[in-house]
Amino acid sequence: MRKDMIQATDAFERVVHWSLAVSCIVLFVSGLGMMFKSFNFIGTMVGGLRILKYVHNFTGIFFIVSLVLSIRMWWKEAGTFEMPGDLEWMKAAGGYLWHVDNVPEVGKYNPGQKAFFLAVAVFGAAMGVSGLVMWFSTGFPAFAVRWMYVLHALGFLVLFAFFFVHLYLGTIGSPGSLPAMTTGWVTRAWAKKQHPKWLREMDESAKADVHAGGGHG
Amino acid sequence: MKAEIVKLIDTTKCTACRGCQVACKQWNEMPAMRTRNRGSYQNPPDLQWNTWTLIRFQEYVDDKGAFKWLFRKDGCMHCTDAACVKVCPSGALHYSEYGTVGLKSSLCIGCKECASACPFDVPKYSHADDKIFKCDLCLSRIRTNQSPACVKSCPTGALTIGPKDKMLKKAYARAKELGGDANVYGDKFVGGTHVIYVLSEKPEVYEELPKNPAVPASIVLWKDILKPFSLLVAGGTIAGAFLHYITHGPKLPDENGHDAEGKGE
Repeated sequence: MRKDMIQATDAFERVVHWSLAVSCIVLFVSGLGMMFKSFNFIGTMVGGLRILKYVHNFTGIFFIVSLVLSIRMWWKEAGTFEMPGDLEWMKAAGGYLWHVDNVPEVGKYNPGQKAFFLAVAVFGAAMGVSGLVMWFSTGFPAFAVRWMYVLHALGFLVLFAFFFVHLYLGTIGSPGSLPAMTTGWVTRAWAKKQHPKWLREMDESAKADVHAGGGHG
Repeated sequence: MKAEIVKLIDTTKCTACRGCQVACKQWNEMPAMRTRNRGSYQNPPDLQWNTWTLIRFQEYVDDKGAFKWLFRKDGCMHCTDAACVKVCPSGALHYSEYGTVGLKSSLCIGCKECASACPFDVPKYSHADDKIFKCDLCLSRIRTNQSPACVKSCPTGALTIGPKDKMLKKAYARAKELGGDANVYGDKFVGGTHVIYVLSEKPEVYEELPKNPAVPASIVLWKDILKPFSLLVAGGTIAGAFLHYITHGPKLPDENGHDAEGKGE
């Protein structure tokens, strides 16, 4: 235990998160290089568009593996909504958009984070499937392949926009949350403000753990 | 941009000698491949990465019970509004100064986007080269005032090439002369193709020939709507985050009164 701190993520969670994040960024950059002629220079920087295609395709495999691990790992905590608490929180937009005196308490992940997780899960899977069809398109009917391009572009639209939301709320938009994905430890003050219910649950289970003689925290 | 050219394929004059097919392979130095007898003179069965033009053989019985053997030289139609050029990420597929669709093979990255976008199913992928191949209407020959290899080889006059307006006039005159169901195919869609057919039967009679070819709606949605919109949405998100930061401000642990106790923890 660290003083005034609480562990939000374990090492495996952080490794999976950053695998997903890094592959996502590489896919954004290499994809943009192929999607827009004005970004073709990104291809030139790595030795040509053809090499950029290979970078994109093989990073895609890495992304799919990271995504599968992420979904398996976070589904229980972030993939399901808890009513009515989550609904109350959403009605108040978590206090992010207008002034709310008492933001409804939610668990470890708030509905905004859950929505983000689900968007990444759903559109990430769509990107994986459509990407693989595009890669091996000779084995599929042309009509189906065309709609995979549409799906891939739609997935990009959603994920690219969400990426900036995530980046903002993980850094300057919500000071104190970044350490959750670097050291894994957040301050109790931050947790009390952002995820009071989770903090209480952790404290209770820690007490229980002491009695039960350990467990990981 | 020079004057647009059009290659006219008068299917009624074609004897299916396949001289054009061989001449195309010879000029473009494309290897032949071993095929199996499938009970048709049509060989290979479809366009291939190394077969850019192909005579399609079709047995057809018209509504009066008359048997007809239809020959159609298939290959790139050289659209004015070409789906392949629209999707090509590298500029390998491009419009030539004659309005035809050229292919700079060195730029092709083998993404295969054109292969699914083309309404005529023309570009073909070679696994060995990881590249796409298709007819470029012998651009290198046209640039030196030579007719394409297929036109040069045609012994019956079924293939001719020339300025667009002149060839269109010729096509319509020929269709009128033939009468009946004879028609001109190509000038009415995808902005007008630079390969035009004179067909003896209605277009829907011919195998593998789309009746109303167009740039697919999915391609338009992808390239003209989602693509620009994706950058717009991302820009809007960044602007929104910035506005949020300077107006509403970040969410701080000690923001609200009831949390003040958390401050000193």
